[in-house]
Amino acid sequence: MASPCEVLVDTDDDAEAFAAVASAREEASRIERKFSRYRTDNIVHAINHAEGRPVAVDEETAGLLDYAATCHEISEGRFDITSGVLRRAWTFDGREHAPDVGVIAAALALVGWSRATWRERTLTLPAGMEVDLGGIGKEYAVDRAATRVAEVTDAACLVNFGGDLRASGPRRGGRPWLVGVEDPAAPGAGPERRLELARGALATSGDARRFLFVNGRRLGHILDPRTGWPVAGAPRSVTVMACSCIEAGTLATLAILRGPLAASFLEEQGVQHWLID
Amino acid sequence: MQLSAASTAANVRQRLGAAACLLLAGSLPAAAQAPAPPAWQLEATGLLYGEQARARVVEPMGRVTRLYANGRALSLGLAVDAVTGASPTGALPSSQVQTTTGASGRTTTTTTSSSILPTHTFEDLRTAVDLGWVEPLGTMLSVTTSAHYSREQDYASLGGGLKSSVELPGRRITLTLGGGYNRDRVFPSGGTPMGLAPDSDPRTPGDNPKEVTTGLVGLSHVVSRRWLLGVTASESREQGYLTDPYKVVSLVDPATQLPVAQVTEKRPATRTRDDVLGSSVYHLDHDILYVNYRYYWDDWGVRSHTLDLKLRHVLGVASWVQPHVRVYGQAPAWFFVYGLTHGPPLPEFASADERLGPLRTTTFGGTYGFHVPGSRGEFTLRAELLYQWLVGHPPQPDEAASGGGGGDDNLRRAIAAGDNGTDDGRHLGTRIGTLLIGYAVPF
Repeated sequence: MASPCEVLVDTDDDAEAFAAVASAREEASRIERKFSRYRTDNIVHAINHAEGRPVAVDEETAGLLDYAATCHEISEGRFDITSGVLRRAWTFDGREHAPDVGVIAAALALVGWSRATWRERTLTLPAGMEVDLGGIGKEYAVDRAATRVAEVTDAACLVNFGGDLRASGPRRGGRPWLVGVEDPAAPGAGPERRLELARGALATSGDARRFLFVNGRRLGHILDPRTGWPVAGAPRSVTVMACSCIEAGTLATLAILRGPLAASFLEEQGVQHWLID
Repeated sequence: MQLSAASTAANVRQRLGAAACLLLAGSLPAAAQAPAPPAWQLEATGLLYGEQARARVVEPMGRVTRLYANGRALSLGLAVDAVTGASPTGALPSSQVQTTTGASGRTTTTTTSSSILPTHTFEDLRTAVDLGWVEPLGTMLSVTTSAHYSREQDYASLGGGLKSSVELPGRRITLTLGGGYNRDRVFPSGGTPMGLAPDSDPRTPGDNPKEVTTGLVGLSHVVSRRWLLGVTASESREQGYLTDPYKVVSLVDPATQLPVAQVTEKRPATRTRDDVLGSSVYHLDHDILYVNYRYYWDDWGVRSHTLDLKLRHVLGVASWVQPHVRVYGQAPAWFFVYGLTHGPPLPEFASADERLGPLRTTTFGGTYGFHVPGSRGEFTLRAELLYQWLVGHPPQPDEAASGGGGGDDNLRRAIAAGDNGTDDGRHLGTRIGTLLIGYAVPF
């Protein structure tokens, strides 16, 4: 998952805690193996190297593709799992860059979920196009791992993979979990704010560590697949609370994709959220 | 506007919630039993090949590939070809009985009528094994090493190759460089004929070496999300025994224009072959169009153009059809003749092998691929029909050497066509059918 992962179990039984952590770890590695775009032995590699041939996928992959298709539709094309190739055009190292319009245009030519044929569990991508499930994979893994942990222990637990987390229920004595939200301007400096979470999920999207400057303007790493450019004017950090981690994560990403309209988008959704500008 | 925006916004959360619910409610195998990603791939095909009244080939083939997590792949292929049937000897039709030596150790006598091309019958079993190794070096470079060995009754081939592909930054352009070397041995049953000598002349026992060195350079370019273009150029140099020991050339009596005798053929001992292949894969809305064009030339004078078109049409659940058309046209080798004039001294080289002649072929076919529900494997069925014929006027061998004139050769060709006076080359043609059944499964 390329980020710190932790599982908190509210119990005095070491064995129970270890079993819970083991099952979460097992599920996380399974999902990582299956959907990482950095491996060559999985379904994502098969899809991305099919050179225009249709690829039949299993039920779980189909579920994620269906979910991604829904996100693409409700975001009017802003959320797009084929937009990963745009990363070739940008380096988010916190420095000033002069973007190469030609490279952006070339990468943009390989983006567009609407170009994919996705039906009856078979995905056909035009040659050269790629999918990247990284945008939903981590949140999905949190939800799945939380389910697995609940199978091995009745104790309250919280699964946190790189800041996207899900709690199974309140701690002993009915107390909620306390979650700190990091200030992107001062990463590692301690929480900007504390949130209480008893049951449900929190996910944060933002540019805490990955951004660049163009003509002195700070741009975060979330790219708009319709333009090929990073979304401008978005809050630096958006945290959303929802029933599942994948919902929370998607709402946070969709908000950032709205740029300066992120706050009003989340207001309209009626979800609990916290922004840091 | 206000109302519509609000209802859209509410819709987003509702639909997202429903989609998440659906996704997370999906039943999964227990983590412990989660299937490992397929690491092995098995491909099996059975090929049936039949020429009209000529060769029939049955070729079962199998390939096992082991895929490693880092992109490394090892593959092993095995093939067996059982060939039976007949092949044209190169002799012109005649009302006399002609005796020829059969390939692969069988001497047969074929009685031919004046309108049927003489053939020799043969039976052979070819077994081939190959080994391939793909080794990625970093994320942009990969090296493929391969080796193969094949053996039949009168031919053995041993070779290896090395190929390297580099993805240029941006990953839209891939450059491929490769080379190979083959060391073959030809050991005709009954010995090696002298070439351009009567069939009955003594033959030399033993092996005839043949070496082939090949180099290729290729470039593929992802032009757009719908279009992939590639160009590959290759050259191969052959040296050694390149003659077909079982082919003959008829000697025609200049007075009667009838074949009266025959000699074995003879080809030069070196051949340099070049070709350039351009390929395009274009993704239409639901279909994929493949267009390939190849230009080939060699220092024997053979020049050919090949145009190959395929359209892959997805039918639905997991099945597809792919119609296929291929057109091929070839200019003959400079020493190709339909026959030689009896009497004057013979030229240095001559062959009546139709594969070196002014050959045209047209292929029509189609492939159907489908998944059996509940299975991970894919079946393919391919059927193709190839029409092959000779056209035009063959180049004349040196007048002094052959003693023949253009008119004579045309006449000989007419004899070959079995239809005196009619200049319809299609009569030299044949039909070839291919049927292939394939199955590929990851496990």
